[in-house]
Amino acid sequence: MADALMVQPDHAFIREVIRDSGGELKKCFQCATCSSVCAHSTEVRPFPRKQMLEAQWGMGNRLLGDPAIWLCHDCGDCTARCPRGARPSAVMDAIRLAVIKRIAFPRFMGSVASNLGGAVLLFIFSALLLLSIAVLPLGGSFARPLIYGEMFPKARLEPMFYVVGVYVAMALLVGMMRLVRALRATGVQGAILPALLPALIEITLHRRFASCGSGQIRRWGHLLVFSAFLGLAVMGTAVGVGSMLGLIDTPLPMLHPLKVFANLCALVLAVGAAILVWVRWADQEKRAGSSFGDWYFLVLLGGVGFTGILTEAVRMGQNLDWMFTIYFIHLCLVLTLFLSTPYSKFAHFLYRTIAMAAAWQESQSPARGQAVAGGPDVALPEGPGLPHVI
Amino acid sequence: MANFDAENGAGGAILVVGGGIAGVSCAIEAAEAGCPVILVEKSAYLGGHVAGFHRYFPKLCPPPCGLEIDFKRVQNNPRVAVYTLAELESISGTPGHYEATIRIAPRHVTGACTLCGACAQVCPVEIPDPFNCGMSRTKAIRLAHRMAFPAQYFIERGACASGCDLCMHACRYKAIDLEQKETKKVLHVASAVFATGWAPYDAAKIDNLGFGKYPNVITNVMLERMVSVDGPTGGKILRPSDGAAPRSIAFVQCAGSRDQNHLPYCSGVCCTASLKQATYLRDRYPEAKISLFYIDLRTPGRLEDFAARTIAANGVELIKGKVGKVVEQADSRDLEVTAEDVLDGKKMTRLYDLVVLAVGMVPQTGSLPAGMSLDDFGFAASSGPGLYAAGCVKRPAEVAVSIRDATGMALKAMQNVASRANHG
Repeated sequence: MADALMVQPDHAFIREVIRDSGGELKKCFQCATCSSVCAHSTEVRPFPRKQMLEAQWGMGNRLLGDPAIWLCHDCGDCTARCPRGARPSAVMDAIRLAVIKRIAFPRFMGSVASNLGGAVLLFIFSALLLLSIAVLPLGGSFARPLIYGEMFPKARLEPMFYVVGVYVAMALLVGMMRLVRALRATGVQGAILPALLPALIEITLHRRFASCGSGQIRRWGHLLVFSAFLGLAVMGTAVGVGSMLGLIDTPLPMLHPLKVFANLCALVLAVGAAILVWVRWADQEKRAGSSFGDWYFLVLLGGVGFTGILTEAVRMGQNLDWMFTIYFIHLCLVLTLFLSTPYSKFAHFLYRTIAMAAAWQESQSPARGQAVAGGPDVALPEGPGLPHVI
Repeated sequence: MANFDAENGAGGAILVVGGGIAGVSCAIEAAEAGCPVILVEKSAYLGGHVAGFHRYFPKLCPPPCGLEIDFKRVQNNPRVAVYTLAELESISGTPGHYEATIRIAPRHVTGACTLCGACAQVCPVEIPDPFNCGMSRTKAIRLAHRMAFPAQYFIERGACASGCDLCMHACRYKAIDLEQKETKKVLHVASAVFATGWAPYDAAKIDNLGFGKYPNVITNVMLERMVSVDGPTGGKILRPSDGAAPRSIAFVQCAGSRDQNHLPYCSGVCCTASLKQATYLRDRYPEAKISLFYIDLRTPGRLEDFAARTIAANGVELIKGKVGKVVEQADSRDLEVTAEDVLDGKKMTRLYDLVVLAVGMVPQTGSLPAGMSLDDFGFAASSGPGLYAAGCVKRPAEVAVSIRDATGMALKAMQNVASRANHG
């Protein structure tokens, strides 16, 4: 043992991963069935067998810089085949959540999205922030017809979201830098920038989901949520900037192309989130291995889409109480979503992209998936040697 | 072969259910100690799985040799009554006083049979031969295998064509009786030993390893038949798809074993059995590549030395990593075997001509009495007083261990006979 490895177990990390993955981590006996059934695990970087061991041993720092945890798309093929019921896919999921927490900026925000208390606090904080800035002192107009943009004065609401937006972007940027540093520390050398485009194309087309063995419906759920979210983000920013510059007058008429597009996105988002919730709920193993962070992500996402549609619906009714309350809840959820983006599963959109780009070169190696005959290092008894290479 | 009156005997006999190596050993050890024994076997011959094996480990000697000695002992001992094609229907009572009912299926061939084989020649029905795991065809009337004991033909009546009596006319010795009916016997015994054995795990249930889908994926039990001189290939190990000699062979250990989706336990013999089978391959194919994929190589006790010697002498490549996927290449019908080599942390997909799945043992508990409890893995858990389990129905074991266990259970059973004699 030339290079002996001194393991200093990070006990908190072990406990966290065990809790968030359904409690069976230590059942793993390293048979490596998981790595061989996984469609994404490559010859040079097989997973999740090694990650199971590192999680058991509490090697949090090593996992922090391991791109493989992001290459996994949580399809559950490994969990279905695991002879021990150790739920490797849930463990990978729990490791990702733990990593998001550990690279959070500022650090104390790391755990807001991983437990109910933190989530409730964040929601209350969002509500208070909205109340103090956009609602109180009452400056909005409740003249008929009721218009959201006048009930919650745009002049205060919009700048607040810009400030929050800048904060979120900063937190993500710092998190990203921490992730890159951790990746480099474990020896991942792939240039990230040039690989971003191919990685993004692969992500957009959901190619990896397509090659996962189980749960094609999950691919569609994710694709719907992903596209709708992207559509709404672009739309929302465009309308916000447009209205600030005085180019767009909200609310847009129902048949305005931007309005139609936004409504479509909201619907698709709600449907996609419902599919993902259903997949997690229907799959016993997945449900058992789901943590608070998994549900938080899906429920918040679906909640934003659902209350968004409701907001629009009650506008038609023009009831002051309902319009005010529902729009307020919708705004609270959107703000909570914004604020928890760097600390929840949401952050995977950025971190997965970065890790996929960093590992792009090696994952494209020609050896991937190629069957090689025999092996170079077989000890055979004295004789004429291997006569035939298949 | 009932050499004593088992039906109306004094009741001081032992009933042994199952005529495999454990049952035969138990019966003959008790009988040679002076105790009357009734041995009940559901197939047409004694010897069970061992009768189909090519070599024992670790000595690598042929099982028929030992079996022949045991059969001779059974034959020469007046205190053993053997019923083949017979199953236990019920047993009730208390230690020392049991009443058992056995159901004996008609053999349709009497003791007048001389093994001339004229009947099988005219038999028009061909069926897959269960003795060769279906790898060859046999007739509805047949001798179960070359070494079958009792050496007597039988008819698998369910396979017969309706109204066919060609065999009866072909038999010069009038040994065929198509009118035989099932009979029942009520036995009075002092105790019973259940040596009902094991069956190989159904490899088709392991759907990621391709058995049943790809002809060149076989099981360890099939390989054992293939290599026997009276096996389906006359002792040659050939690829089932094209009859070619395999140039590369992968042993896949724990095929369905130590797996909560299949058998949660380790059968304890498959690692050594695969290494034993590697010697068959090396003998026939000095240049073939032999790889063995494993989770942990479990060759306990003295078998450790056998394993080390066999690996070194036969050039067996060991790869620590369970095989998760076997896929057939369309044209060549070669097999792509995928595993992660845990020791160097790399995943590999290799091509092999032949894949041998090392399947584990499933206890055959169907005819155990209701009172006998099973352990967490489904093996017979309780033993005695009065009713005992022996051999692989109790725990997965190699032949030598089964024999030792069966011998011990013979003693336990005889204690019931003795206490009956002492106390009435």
